[in-house]
Amino acid sequence: MRLKIGVYVCECGPNIAERVDIDRVIKVISSLEEFEDIELVVKRYKLLCSNDGQAFLKNEIESNALTHLVVAACSPRDHESTFMNVCKKTNLNPYLFNMVNIREHCAWVIPDKAKATEKAIRSIRAGIRRTLHQSELLERELDANPDVLIVGGGIAGMEAALMLADEKRKVCLIEKTERLGGKSIFYSQLLSRQGNSAKMIQQKIEAVQQNAHIQVFTETELESVVGFFGNFEIVLKVGKETELQTGLKAGAIVIATGFRLLNPNKLPQTVYQKEDEVYTTLEVESMILNEGKISLKSGKSPQSIALVHCVGRDEKGYCSTICCSTIIKIARMLKAKLPQISIRVYYRDLCLPHKTDQQTYEEVKAEGVDFIRVKEAGIQNTSIEYTQIDGVKKKESADMVILAPAMEPADGTEALAELLNVSLGETGFFQEAHHHLNPVATSIEGIYIVGAAQGPKGISESVAQAQAVSGKILNRLIPGEKIVPEVKVCKVLEDFCTGCQTCLEVCCYGAISFNEVKGVSVVNEAVCRGCGNCVASCPSGAMRAIHFTTPQLYREMIEAIR
Amino acid sequence: MEDQKQKEEFFPKIVGYLCNWCTYAAADLAGSSKMELSPSLNVIRVMCSSRVDYNLVLTTFFGGADGILIAGCHPGDCHYDKGNYYARRRYALLKSILETLKLDPERLQLSWISASEGKRYVDVVNEFTERIKKLGPNPINRNAYY
Ligand SMILES: Cc1cc2nc3c(=O)[nH]c(=O)nc-3n(C[C@H](O)[C@H](O)[C@H](O)COP(=O)(O)OP(=O)(O)OC[C@H]3O[C@@H](n4cnc5c(N)ncnc54)[C@H](O)[C@@H]3O)c2cc1C
Ligand code: SF4
Ligand code: SF4
Ligand code: SF4
Repeated sequence: MRLKIGVYVCECGPNIAERVDIDRVIKVISSLEEFEDIELVVKRYKLLCSNDGQAFLKNEIESNALTHLVVAACSPRDHESTFMNVCKKTNLNPYLFNMVNIREHCAWVIPDKAKATEKAIRSIRAGIRRTLHQSELLERELDANPDVLIVGGGIAGMEAALMLADEKRKVCLIEKTERLGGKSIFYSQLLSRQGNSAKMIQQKIEAVQQNAHIQVFTETELESVVGFFGNFEIVLKVGKETELQTGLKAGAIVIATGFRLLNPNKLPQTVYQKEDEVYTTLEVESMILNEGKISLKSGKSPQSIALVHCVGRDEKGYCSTICCSTIIKIARMLKAKLPQISIRVYYRDLCLPHKTDQQTYEEVKAEGVDFIRVKEAGIQNTSIEYTQIDGVKKKESADMVILAPAMEPADGTEALAELLNVSLGETGFFQEAHHHLNPVATSIEGIYIVGAAQGPKGISESVAQAQAVSGKILNRLIPGEKIVPEVKVCKVLEDFCTGCQTCLEVCCYGAISFNEVKGVSVVNEAVCRGCGNCVASCPSGAMRAIHFTTPQLYREMIEAIR
Repeated sequence: MEDQKQKEEFFPKIVGYLCNWCTYAAADLAGSSKMELSPSLNVIRVMCSSRVDYNLVLTTFFGGADGILIAGCHPGDCHYDKGNYYARRRYALLKSILETLKLDPERLQLSWISASEGKRYVDVVNEFTERIKKLGPNPINRNAYY
């Protein structure tokens, strides 16, 4: 069959037309000798992305029976999908289309019109050449399971479960301990800005337990997960006898494993023994909740209490953001219970990000809690050794010391990350796909993170993330709708593969496995993201990035620098 | 005198392998901000800087390019998690390969340019172009290969 390539140069209103000599582009491209055995249709159009432009293009493809299409216009990031959709309405496979960017790369950045025109010509020639090396690709549709697995039954996991169940999604919620609620069940009160009452936590737990769409597994952990977005197959380890539960399926997974507190005993500046009256914030919260009062081990009431901020902040290299508010909450509870005693708070900086936090701080100060700003502070049993802001060192003691240790990733975070093949950030928490463009997704499609598993945060932020994740899942996994996996993936040319398995090492998504029988590597197309890293790592040229093949890139390049 | 003139007229052929998510987007931003860019860069879009293999870089030089710019997301910001770290390692090795080929390693550059760094994109491209202009044409005779 004789090839017939349509080349359409968009004017983009005045954007391209005024800065590139389109008539010259058309003249030069139409008479290119290197394409002489190929029929070229070269035309200009005022606004190809408009409805009229798309209709024009569709008609051109059909009436000319084009075998390939090149559009020279704006950035493919703007309109590649627009024109691929035009192709889809015709018999032309959208992967035989190529978009050449002559607006951002020529018209808008090269003031000299002649030079911009020459560059546009070079780019279009390169684009035509690339198109000739492209092949038809077929998009596949896969059934997707709309159910969701949530790992971790803290506030974040519960909120996500409730949001999804509200839309009648089946949720499987697994929790490592014997009860739901996470750390939040230890608090008798929440922050002032949260209205103090911790009733909401209990209400959430009950709502989860009563919801017919949520299946809760306590004392349960993940055993294995295989598959990909829309089709995960899950095995659980259930109960004390760690019975394996197989046959579970889900389309998406939410990581909500929360945090633990750093063990202050590990730090050189906090030296104390079990018998000392030294507690972490979490231990004090439990004491208040369980005993309704605050007392020393002897049963007596303390006459003075010291609270120390930022324990382990330097060692961890990050601020846990919620401990300042937490300490203020605890100091206020203590003051209410024991109004006569001395309560001294040793802080370095105050992290009070919420809009009403400052006001609460002022109130608590007025209620008689002393705030002492320090450069650094350590403890030796129940005496506090600190350096004042002016450099003077001081030592004070108290009947009881309460430490606010840094928040760390929960136990088992590394193992879970490995099991799910998702990344951890430098601080050891689960790493988001992108800090502001994709903050609740992970590096693996269909696996999300919420709450303190992603980094230190409070309940409100955890709930907000849980709602964001639910929105993402509800939007991406719609019952009855199929998913279209990426087609621009990689493929192993089995004849060339030596079985060295280098590619397995470099793939960040675990998309490649090794077929022992054939002795070659295999790419799981549904998992591959098409980055092409494996292609560059393969010493035998056996790995091919479909739609970014070496011949395609090479021919485009050679034509561009001819 | 003649030499001097030739150098002035030298219009380098530079190939830019740009990552779709960061640097290609930065180029779009430079465009929509109407910044001024040297016309000598020919952009080839790749999905990730880690796609650029030794073969592609070497054949680009053999094909007559005077300079190659590989650019992607900043370390830690890769759209594909860690692709740019691989690109960085390959780049280090490529530099030494170029030396053995008697090609000035300065003709190859790897830069991290995020989607929001339109201005940096322009600076990197323009500075690189100036450097290649000083280095002069690629000494490899491409006709020897074709
Ligand atoms: C002393 C203290 C007081 C605080 N007070 C407040 C407050 O008043 N207001 C506020 O907004 N914030 C407060 N915070 C912060 C609050 O605790 C967190 O924001 C909140 O707990 C985060 O919820 P989460 O669900 O992400 O994590 P978590 O509460 O840690 O819950 C995670 C759950 O996942 C489970 N889990 C972990 N790993 C696995 C696994 N591998 N498999 C299955 N399950 C697993 C855990 O057992 C746990 O139940 C306080 C923090 C501290 C330390
Ligand atoms: S297709 Fe692109 S170049 Fe053409 S009018 Fe639309 S935005 Fe402008
Ligand atoms: S790197 Fe290449 S040769 Fe080695 S296993 Fe992978 S595909 Fe096969
Ligand atoms: S292209 Fe990227 S995601 Fe796909 S198999 Fe290769 S390395 Fe893995």
